[in-house]
Amino acid sequence: MPKIIPAYLTFIIIFSISILFVKGQVVFSQENTQETSNAFPLTESSADDEGGFEDEFEDEFEDEFAASGQEVFDPLSGYNRVMTGFNDGFYIFVLDPVARGYRWVLPDTARRGVKNFFHNILFPLRFVNNALQLKAKNAGEEFLRFSINSTIGILGFWDPAKDLFGLEAHEEDFGQTLGYYGVGGGFHVVLPFLGPSNLRDMFSLYPDMQMDPVNYVEKRPYNFPKQEGEYLGVSRPTIQALEMKLFKTVNNESLRIGQYENLKKDAIELYPFLRDVYEQNRAKLIRE
Amino acid sequence: MQAAKKIIINMLLVAIFSFSFGTTFLFADEVSEIREMTKEKVDHVIITLKDDKLNKEEKKEEILKTIDGLFDFNLMARLSLGKKFWKKLSTEGRNEFTELFVERLKQSYLDKLDLYTDEEVVVDEAKLIKKKRVEVLTYLVSKDDKMEMTYKLYKTKKNVWMVYDVDVLGVSIVQTYRSQFSGVLKKESLEKLIERLRSSAELGS
Repeated sequence: MPKIIPAYLTFIIIFSISILFVKGQVVFSQENTQETSNAFPLTESSADDEGGFEDEFEDEFEDEFAASGQEVFDPLSGYNRVMTGFNDGFYIFVLDPVARGYRWVLPDTARRGVKNFFHNILFPLRFVNNALQLKAKNAGEEFLRFSINSTIGILGFWDPAKDLFGLEAHEEDFGQTLGYYGVGGGFHVVLPFLGPSNLRDMFSLYPDMQMDPVNYVEKRPYNFPKQEGEYLGVSRPTIQALEMKLFKTVNNESLRIGQYENLKKDAIELYPFLRDVYEQNRAKLIRE
Repeated sequence: MQAAKKIIINMLLVAIFSFSFGTTFLFADEVSEIREMTKEKVDHVIITLKDDKLNKEEKKEEILKTIDGLFDFNLMARLSLGKKFWKKLSTEGRNEFTELFVERLKQSYLDKLDLYTDEEVVVDEAKLIKKKRVEVLTYLVSKDDKMEMTYKLYKTKKNVWMVYDVDVLGVSIVQTYRSQFSGVLKKESLEKLIERLRSSAELGS
């Protein structure tokens, strides 16, 4: 009997403490709002009429967003603007029409299959970066996905891992890995054809490329007919890799026609808008 | 003496325990209610989109009616401009800015729906962020894509929960407008910005 009481006591102590910890945030913010609402009980009813809120009420919101008028460190903004204009033109006048033509020629299922295929062979990139971020479960799921899709999914053209087993892909690249370990993005850089990026993600393109089998296409012995030599100083494997990437890009674009134009409508000025969208999205991907 | 002390400690602990447990349930209840409310509205938008009996105009009208009660467009306008610039505007200026901005937001929302094909909306969990803030996580699921959308709600003075911002793939609508506006306002006056909004509104309609 005397042995049971201490055990019972410790259980309750630990349980209550743990619950209090979870609740800590709520209790804390409760106190906060009480303080602020006591400060101006009289303005409550009139505030809504003039379309205004009390300062304190608004400050609570203001804290959730970056301060307005805050300077973004953007030493390349002049170049970036020009390059954004170039990429925009390239998309609208070249890539989009080509993707539309391609969509017209190939049925939906085929294009989806091609997309799945390219996604599947990019498995090393996702696997390595999940592992580097110590996301063991995600890395394991990626491994399972690759095994299932390459076999049952016939070289990855289908995605039975998701459709039958409910295994979702876990997109990770080297930029995200660096971000995970606290490397900041650095200033924003708009790359020709590739679009928005930043210092960190730009340098991560190189290790990412090493993980993309598309770049090793010539090294496969059964690649026939085998052609050697250089064209305009560019080696044959590089050209083949570029061809593959172009094909992949056109195919993927054909599956999201109209989305870029739609997104663009939200922009007041295109460059700062796309920069912001990119940086916010990357920050979220790194947080996960 | 020793026993009495123990009993008092026990009672205290039980009291703390039940208090924290009780409040957890209190909040959990409200949060799930908000989740249901959001789900109902978002589902209604999808049902409206799928309804073959309605023409395009009727669909638009019905959708706007549905989201009007869910989104606090005026607050969104205000937060997008930011406190610093909002304070500089006169009452008429504020009204005009709000009107133009809300028009723009609604138009943008409707434009997005034009791309709608076969997506399903999955309403995931609702999270209590602060006492008066709840985030509802949703996914727009299509055949080969899954887009994360988070609705951020706050409790208004009238004790209704309303959306003040939406994150699409981690990109906050309000934040994006905020940085754009502050960028533009570094070079131009507020009047010019409103002018720009007005002309783009005319172009859009």
